[in-house]
Amino acid sequence: MGDNASPKERLTRALRRQPVDRPPVACVGGMMNAAVVDVMTQSGNPLPDAYGDPGRLADLARDVAKLTGFENLALPFCMTLEAELLGSRIDPGTLACEAKIAEEAFPSVRDAKLPELTRIPDGGRAHRVIKAIELTAARRPDAPVVGSLTGPVSTAGSVVDPITFLKELRKERAAAHRVLAQVVEAVALLAEAMVEAGADVIAISDPTATGEILGPRAFEEYGLRYLNELIDRIHRLNRPVIVHICGDVGPVDHLVAQLHAEAISTDAAVSLPRLKAKYPQLVTMGNVSTQVLQNGEPERIAQRVRQLVEEGVDIIAPACGLSTSTPLENIRALTGAVREP
Amino acid sequence: MPNAQLQQVVLTELAEAVLALDEERAVAAAQKALHEGIDPYVAVQEGLLSGMSRAGKLFEEQEYFVPELLVASDALYAGLNVLRPHIKADAFGVPGKVVIGVVEGDTHDVGKNLVRIILQTKGFEVHDLGRDVAPAKFVDKAVEVGADVIALSTLMTTTMVNMDETVNLLVKRDLRERFKVIVGGSPLSKAYADKIGANAYARDAISAAEVVKKLVQQPIAIAG
Repeated sequence: MGDNASPKERLTRALRRQPVDRPPVACVGGMMNAAVVDVMTQSGNPLPDAYGDPGRLADLARDVAKLTGFENLALPFCMTLEAELLGSRIDPGTLACEAKIAEEAFPSVRDAKLPELTRIPDGGRAHRVIKAIELTAARRPDAPVVGSLTGPVSTAGSVVDPITFLKELRKERAAAHRVLAQVVEAVALLAEAMVEAGADVIAISDPTATGEILGPRAFEEYGLRYLNELIDRIHRLNRPVIVHICGDVGPVDHLVAQLHAEAISTDAAVSLPRLKAKYPQLVTMGNVSTQVLQNGEPERIAQRVRQLVEEGVDIIAPACGLSTSTPLENIRALTGAVREP
Repeated sequence: MPNAQLQQVVLTELAEAVLALDEERAVAAAQKALHEGIDPYVAVQEGLLSGMSRAGKLFEEQEYFVPELLVASDALYAGLNVLRPHIKADAFGVPGKVVIGVVEGDTHDVGKNLVRIILQTKGFEVHDLGRDVAPAKFVDKAVEVGADVIALSTLMTTTMVNMDETVNLLVKRDLRERFKVIVGGSPLSKAYADKIGANAYARDAISAAEVVKKLVQQPIAIAG
């Protein structure tokens, strides 16, 4: 393909394992959003205020891409929409600190009665995000719009007290499975609304579903199973899926390879070339250390990016959630190094 | 005095109950220990806590993971609730007092809870402030309980800076020399701990307990 592929074509081709002129550079939103303080200030659409209006959300998504150099547009800017839809109380956060769970809806999976949603309710933050995706997709037909979701295990751990939930993965398995099945329904509903609004790609981050926290057995029983159920639902809408797995995937890499997703994004601790050597079918994404992004020198960041490109990482991206205090100059060093000839 | 063989059987059962993550079994074994006249302090130390430390070892070896360790600690506490009322308060020598919490902005408390559990199994008096804790709350609580160590946790790069603020607040209130500060959490490093002036960094929950133990053994510098 030529050098003048649109960012949307390039990302789509990379996700399909088709040849590209160079790897796309992406930041998928949600937990991994790039709305750092520098960007929000220049945009004039800071969080949490921007969550009040779809137009401002869309403007912020546009400005994030424009100022950072990431080649996709991404919404939302937190990982609390799913839990909010399911009844948890949300703290909207501040400029420097993204929205978070203030109180989970249920103390235990045993008596958790999750609301059965049939649509995304009007007037809520999730609805405004959907509207913002619509505006974003209409404005930029050449750039891929990524709708970002919180994975089933993490959402369940934001709807039920997380420590109790983790214990109940062992002690109350039937009830834990029931809650997770209901969570998949709600997250799939949000995914469907995102796709209908114009999202080209769906990204799922499930930071609680890691090999390090759950171990291989529970990761297989809960993490893998419900991620795949969710991914299958999104595939029915003909959209590719990127899954981000936090932490060291070592203990579960054989299970990560069984995810139905088009691409796997990992933390900085993981050697993507090694993962790819072991599972050649994987499309890999990552994994510039967010710590280096925050505190490192731009040249060091660019070096790391060149190394990742050299090693054949398919999509270049930050390795995890960016600190809101990450300097814009450092993010530009990341995106710039991918594009340099 | 129970015979030594029976005592050993009960102690083993207490440890096995914790290791098997079985609360009911731990309670039954604790009741049996009382019934057989076994010193409840010995039952805790050589029964329940020995089981918990074996669970900790399995966690270290990646046989057990976070859910297993949390459930093991439930079994430990279930047995402890039976035995504790029968133990003289001063039988437990407290090696130190720790104020622990997840810094402001972060609601991930899995790692912090593990550290708390492991510290408690080593006999520390732990004051857990929970998650999303403001710097002033850490400092106030440490002063209130006369803590030896303040333990700060975060899982997010976005909130690391609030560790820095807690240390700064100690300096501002002329309290920096009074408390040891340990930081931990996946985005952190020894370099970061040094940079913000913390006393120590721990890579994971198991080593955090070891590091805290070392910290309280160091003499506390008396300021001015």
